[in-house]
Amino acid sequence: MEISQGGDDSYQKKFALPVDSEHKSTEFRLFSVAAPHMRAFHLSWISFFACFVSTFAAPPLLPIIRDNLDLTATDIGNAGIAAVSGAVFARIAMGTACDLFGPRLASASLTLLTAPAVYCTSIANSPVSFLLVRFFTGFSLATFVSTQFWMSSMFSARVVGTANGVAGGWGNLGGGATQLIMPLVFDLIHHIGATKFTAWRIAFFIPALFQSLSAYGIFFLGQDLPDGNYSKLHKSGDKHKDNFSQVFYHAVTNYRGWILALTYGYCFGVELTIDNIIAQYFYDRFNVNLHTAGIIAASFGLANLFSRPGGGMLSDLMAKKLGMRGRLWTLWIVQTLGGVFCILLGKVGSLGVSIAVMLIFSVFVQAACGLTFGVVPFVSRRSLGIISGTTGGGGNVGAVLTQVIFFRGSRYSTETGLTLMGVMIICCTLLITLIHFPQWGGMFCGPSSKTTTEEDYYMSEWNSAEKEQGFHKASLKFSENSRSERGKRIGSAPTPNNRTPDTHV
Amino acid sequence: MIEMDCQPLEIAFFLPHCLEVLEFGKQCTDGFSWVSSCFVLAFVLGGYLLWCYLLFSSGHSYCHCFTSTTPSLKAGEDKITVTWALNTSFPAGIDSAYKTIKVKLCYAPISQQDRAWRKTVDNLKKDKTCQHKIVAKPYSSSNNTFTWTVQRDVPTATYFVRAYAHNSADEEVAYGQTTDSHKSTNLFEVQAISGRHMSLDVASVCFSAFSIVSCSGSSTWKEKGQGIPNKVM
Repeated sequence: MEISQGGDDSYQKKFALPVDSEHKSTEFRLFSVAAPHMRAFHLSWISFFACFVSTFAAPPLLPIIRDNLDLTATDIGNAGIAAVSGAVFARIAMGTACDLFGPRLASASLTLLTAPAVYCTSIANSPVSFLLVRFFTGFSLATFVSTQFWMSSMFSARVVGTANGVAGGWGNLGGGATQLIMPLVFDLIHHIGATKFTAWRIAFFIPALFQSLSAYGIFFLGQDLPDGNYSKLHKSGDKHKDNFSQVFYHAVTNYRGWILALTYGYCFGVELTIDNIIAQYFYDRFNVNLHTAGIIAASFGLANLFSRPGGGMLSDLMAKKLGMRGRLWTLWIVQTLGGVFCILLGKVGSLGVSIAVMLIFSVFVQAACGLTFGVVPFVSRRSLGIISGTTGGGGNVGAVLTQVIFFRGSRYSTETGLTLMGVMIICCTLLITLIHFPQWGGMFCGPSSKTTTEEDYYMSEWNSAEKEQGFHKASLKFSENSRSERGKRIGSAPTPNNRTPDTHV
Repeated sequence: MIEMDCQPLEIAFFLPHCLEVLEFGKQCTDGFSWVSSCFVLAFVLGGYLLWCYLLFSSGHSYCHCFTSTTPSLKAGEDKITVTWALNTSFPAGIDSAYKTIKVKLCYAPISQQDRAWRKTVDNLKKDKTCQHKIVAKPYSSSNNTFTWTVQRDVPTATYFVRAYAHNSADEEVAYGQTTDSHKSTNLFEVQAISGRHMSLDVASVCFSAFSIVSCSGSSTWKEKGQGIPNKVM
């Protein structure tokens, strides 16, 4: 069980926050920057925020860029799809990289390697080059996976939903903030004396520099695990360097990862789609001016300040009382309600009501993102990175799918597209009912049997040869700490077979 | 400054009723009744087409280069000289309501394709055809001319020039344009500035190279066992 007062103090003294047996923090103190836990939190959300700002830096400046580069509406639509499609496979690759090399190196490297795409946006001179820079800049959205992986490595089961939700939400905030930041930067540069067609190019240096600096921050100030970096721990033998094919096999054979990937496409994917189309929707349907449309678009993304973290906290709160089943039920309810409000958004015809519905819709859809990553850390311990990456990649697949089906060409008007997207959200979210953990149960069924334990589930990822060499020890500790996912039934926990009784019960 | 090697463009004005062509349902502003307006409209359109035919076939007041290729102007460098006058075939006094002339650069249909932000809409308040102002001047019935350097924020596209006459309430009451009603003749192109500068190109490349080099440098540094201390309070 978890360490609390009077527990083993010898390693407690080394950390500023209270920790469990894996040295993961059991508390989430937002305004602390204590290393390694809270420092990792702040470094990861800031760099993810920077990547989001870069990826969505073009949309608010499109009225200028489309004239400079002679873009058509088709070019703009294709570039928007390219921006979110790059990250589909990058997120899966990032998950693998986190499992093998650690989140610090993986995220700092990707952020630095995609910064050139942002710098080169300044020298784009045609629709093709514009599409390419948006495509490669979009790869940086894979830092989402390293953020979630890092939080799952630094924070215990009790607070992992909150940590993942706040880090993810504050990072996603970049998509809203950029709609305000980029026009401001552009105006400033334009007033200093640059022509419009030069000012927007100079403006792109700001997100690029921000992105580079955040990468250096992670590299120099962060560490992978509470006990140190992967390379150091690999050398000292405290952490064994895992086998990629085994990690990959256990990720792809776990059906829960695939279901969560699909359902994440209908909360986060929908959020990305809305980021791309909502300003134009309000501009065209309600005839507001461009500045107003931009502010409305920004407010959708800015709701991430509290809505996604709120989803994560709600997940942890429900887990305290109802365990994993509570997390699953809450996720299904919140995401379905998001679908309902999406249907409504396409139906309302007045500006004020439409903005109100959009804001409510944003809260539910972003909370569903936070709730999803309250469940993901428990799907697998060994292959956490790839599962996180697949789920994250599924989000981007959802964004590509919804834009291609509903918001491209003139088959559907935007309002019809929104309504149909809402229907699709509700249908795909039904898959959550199929998720079942043998040790905790699912939405409709309890645990498989009274004697199935967390150890049984997580140890099934290791074969006996690996267990003999002791590679499974981290998973073992995780199993013990995840017993809180039983909810109020913790007191009646069965003793695991072939192990000494847990002394902390 | 490079002068365009063409004769000045000439624009004529129409009677007020021409606004019905531009804007669906907008009221006539000179008080004529509906029925007589329709008849006069038909006459005016016919008269305009005839006038255009005469103008272009007579060989004066249009650029020789229009007959073969579409002329191309460079934004920020080349100039357009616009000359306009009231078409003398219309009755005297028709221009009593005209107070201001606004001359604008307008997108030709080929540059409006797949670009909803340049769409032509009958309701002038929502019309996005003419987005670049050349000049706004008080109205006078003759000797109107203006030389305009194509501004640096004009995008690459195919254009024509249109002039609107506004009354004292700033409503459009008449117009004239350098092309026909299908907007297919007498068009010209503008080549925009790229907005790129050598210094920007160099900066982009240098910063990009530095990012990539520092990334691989960091990985190598990691291999040598450097890193921050494990436990920091």
